[in-house]
Amino acid sequence: MTAAIRSRRFAQIFLAAGFGLGLLASPASAQKQGGSITFGLELDISGFDPLKVGVFDTASLTAAAAIFDTLTYLDDKGVAQPKLALSWDHSEDFKTWTFKLRPGVKFHDGTPFNAEAMKANFDRQKDPANKCRCAFYIAYIHDAQAPDELTLIFNLNDPQVNLPALMTIPSTNNVVQSPTAWKTRGDDYNRNPVGTGPYILKSWAAGDRMVLERNPDYWNKGHPHLDRIVLKPLPDAQSRFASLQSGEADIIWDDEYDPDNVQKAQKDSKLAVHTYVGSGAQVYAFNTKVAPFDDVRVRQALVMAIDRKKMSQAITNGLSIPASNPYGEGSWVKCKDDGALPTDIEKAKALIKDYGKPVDFKMLVTATPRGRNVGQVLQQFWKQAGANMEIEQVDQATIVPRAFMRQFQLTPWRIVDLADPDPQMYANFHTGSPVALANYSNPELDRLLEHARITADPAKRTEDYCAVSRLINQEAIWFWTFQNSYYAISSAKLKGLPKIYSGVIDVSDVWME
Amino acid sequence: MPGFVARRLLYLVPVLVAVSLLTFLIASLLPGDLAYVILGDQATPEKVAALRHDMGLDQPIWWRYLSWLGHVLQGDFGRSFRTGQTVLQAVAERLPVSFELMIMAEIIGVAVGVPLAIACAVRSGSAFDRFMTGTAFGMLSVPAFLAAILLIYLFAVELRWLPATGYIPFEEDPLGNLRFLVLPALTLALAEWPGIMRVLRSDMIATLQEDYIALAKAKGLKASRILFVHALKPSSLTLVTVTGINIGRLIGGAVIVETIFALPGIGRLLVGAIYTRDLVILQGVVLFVAAGFVLMNFIVDLFYAVLDPRIRHGHA
Repeated sequence: MTAAIRSRRFAQIFLAAGFGLGLLASPASAQKQGGSITFGLELDISGFDPLKVGVFDTASLTAAAAIFDTLTYLDDKGVAQPKLALSWDHSEDFKTWTFKLRPGVKFHDGTPFNAEAMKANFDRQKDPANKCRCAFYIAYIHDAQAPDELTLIFNLNDPQVNLPALMTIPSTNNVVQSPTAWKTRGDDYNRNPVGTGPYILKSWAAGDRMVLERNPDYWNKGHPHLDRIVLKPLPDAQSRFASLQSGEADIIWDDEYDPDNVQKAQKDSKLAVHTYVGSGAQVYAFNTKVAPFDDVRVRQALVMAIDRKKMSQAITNGLSIPASNPYGEGSWVKCKDDGALPTDIEKAKALIKDYGKPVDFKMLVTATPRGRNVGQVLQQFWKQAGANMEIEQVDQATIVPRAFMRQFQLTPWRIVDLADPDPQMYANFHTGSPVALANYSNPELDRLLEHARITADPAKRTEDYCAVSRLINQEAIWFWTFQNSYYAISSAKLKGLPKIYSGVIDVSDVWME
Repeated sequence: MPGFVARRLLYLVPVLVAVSLLTFLIASLLPGDLAYVILGDQATPEKVAALRHDMGLDQPIWWRYLSWLGHVLQGDFGRSFRTGQTVLQAVAERLPVSFELMIMAEIIGVAVGVPLAIACAVRSGSAFDRFMTGTAFGMLSVPAFLAAILLIYLFAVELRWLPATGYIPFEEDPLGNLRFLVLPALTLALAEWPGIMRVLRSDMIATLQEDYIALAKAKGLKASRILFVHALKPSSLTLVTVTGINIGRLIGGAVIVETIFALPGIGRLLVGAIYTRDLVILQGVVLFVAAGFVLMNFIVDLFYAVLDPRIRHGHA
């Protein structure tokens, strides 16, 4: 339940929260039927078979949201709503969840959608013989049962009070694929996906375009609105934006590291900038078992030396939104007091002086222009406070094993946008977890995390999580720089785009005015 | 002639073996273990070890190279671990795009470069000559990514004459296909014609001072006939070399240009394979491109022989 380190092009969203379709609660304004749009993605889509691709990247998630359905979707308020599931119930201990499925739904190839199909999807990913990377993210689910045609039961290893919300993102784990299709297609299934979703894959020229056509038999009558969606990988940020300006694309993926174009689009009345600030944050973990970070004063000093506003100016022209806790604007956890340390360079200097020994350390940084940039800005802040940081550039894929083996002093990490804080908070901070990177153990912290995961009342959970935030901020075992924010830029005529939950730009229910 | 061709073909074998070895080494030396890449955030030491074993990554490098080479010799270039596509499928899908792009760029480059070279050679030292030589020098220093963005801005965003990005296969819409390729080909050609012009211009100036040209003039032959028939052919030996070598440069340029213009060609396939550490595709494509480059130089050699009988008969 942790995450890859930031990378615009290859950021893979692992466990993450869902996508809001506004399926059932359609706005009052008239939606126009018909027409088509072209979407400029940043990546080539590699495929859809979980056994082959493991997890979907951001481009694949956009396509998956159109081709497939999930059991639930997140509405505008961040609450799980029925999609392929009609209703759900849980046991007292939140370890057994029963879903009632929607009757009469068929996959694009005519295979009926039912509990057996759901179970087949789950079992295929869970089967150790298949060695699917995707299995990692459903480790907390023990098994799936299909007692009758339309009843599905998940038995969990750990309690999960918010399961339906966690199943909303169109990830490899959550989308429902046709068992007939993967069995008959074999190796070719990866590039010939079959779902129950609003769009059917018509054609796909690798590296060029994927054409999706309206599913005339979609179970949600009146949806989708467009006849056709064309997905094109446009890897270069400048020419992607130019394609939008010239009208060849109707909507494009973007991010805060392309601030010039985002700001240009904000001033252009023909374009609309869609942005969503999710939960989670860009984060960093100190290894508290090695000097100098075994001393809380050093950790606090470094955190207090960071001026996030200046940093945002330096790296994204001010678009990055400072974070003071791991929950963020997109989370339902709102803290009156999150215990964030103030930015105070004088206090930082004093703490380092008080520590008495030279503060020299290495920080892992991804060997990308963006990684280096962030590293250099932090280096400057810390120099002012009297600490000497050396940048160690490593390949992105190397950061994860280094983190697992605790071969670092300070490492970047990420808490992704997820509908519930539990999976990541528990994994990142509970004693003994493989990704409790700080090597820090505190019975009070453990108690709060354990209590929050078995408590249903959001108000009580909020209290727990805010206490967790205060504890982590004061002990400064991790720190957060910026919130997760996501961008799409479209023609002003494109309407009906839901919130960009988890960075998934879901165009499966939009229309053109 | 057949003996000459056979000799040259024999030279290709060691070159290709060396290229395949280098490709394999470079791909293996890329930072970031493939097992880490595939496992992502689950790269625990145990899982990494298990996956490395499954993929044969725990074998010594020479053994992996030999087994890869063995498969390649049987026509099996491998399969992408990400898409499940075979290398041959992927290359076959992408090759026509890059090929068309390079041919168009080369045609534009020659169409612009050759007439300008002749015009400059005839009036060598004139204001026109100096201006064109200066311009050519300037164009050579414009990087492809800058030229591409400027062309997109002008022709796609401002004038809206041509599309900024994208591609349509020729068999679907021939005219549309050309429209999509104009700007990318132009971008490549912008760096192409100056080289052609400069080389041909200086060779041509030398040729025009030969005695037989003076003789032709004295015989009263038409100026255009002298230039295009008597002077052009003997002046074009270096031009052929440059054009051949340029194919290599064009492949490099295609990597950038295909990315900016979102063309589904070999260059994009290569970049994607590097980003995703798809080593099987990477090795396959680099080997393929290298073989193409070597083959191109081979064709240039043959062409020399056609142009200059001395080479054909082994006197040069």
